Amino acid sequence: MEKPHRAILDRVAGYADEAAAYLRRRRMSRQPFARLYWPGGRGADFPPDTEAGRTLFLAASRLIDVARER
Amino acid sequence: MPETATIVSQDARAAGMASMLTEVPATTSHRSPPAVPTPGDAEAAIARLREMSADVRGCAVLGPDGELLAASGDPQRWQEAAAVLLGAADLAGDAPAELVHVATEDGEVFAVRHAGLAIVVVSERFALASLMAFDMRTVLRDLANDHRQVRSRTWRP
Repeated sequence: MEKPHRAILDRVAGYADEAAAYLRRRRMSRQPFARLYWPGGRGADFPPDTEAGRTLFLAASRLIDVARER
Repeated sequence: MPETATIVSQDARAAGMASMLTEVPATTSHRSPPAVPTPGDAEAAIARLREMSADVRGCAVLGPDGELLAASGDPQRWQEAAAVLLGAADLAGDAPAELVHVATEDGEVFAVRHAGLAIVVVSERFALASLMAFDMRTVLRDLANDHRQVRSRTWRP
């Protein structure tokens, strides 16, 4: 019979594998996006091919550059 | 049955309202100034956020008028860049956004507003948005509340 702690270790390792696979899939499938949320839970996406989306992406890129400086 | 003169009754109501309004002073003694934390408080908030979240690359805290209270890097560049982001978010919607989240190939940008204050964060890619927003809200709320408590003890009209 398998020792109890082995069963627990196997189960934890299984969960970790699942989580790693989820994060791997997420990295591969995720595209850049810009989202705004307002009070009350209302939210909206702004794709990069729209004027508002383009402005948001440019502003975000500028902030990322500023954060890169030390 | 005679008709009631509606215009006369509305005139009377308006006259009553005017007399009531004249009794209210223009300035009330309990009005408090806007809550603006000190730069030291804002720096402590930034340090706390960086401690809470390992994904944070840099961040800045802005006051009610968009003035920079503290930043993790060059203050002027942070203020300009944060103002551009918040301005773009305001133009994109019909009302000021509470949370801004922009994910790019190089990193992610978050901005949260609360009680007139704003915090802008640049994080690593794939940072968990809900956790990041929660941490930012917590820090900002504590910053606003702590300052209010201190002010209520020290401020005199």
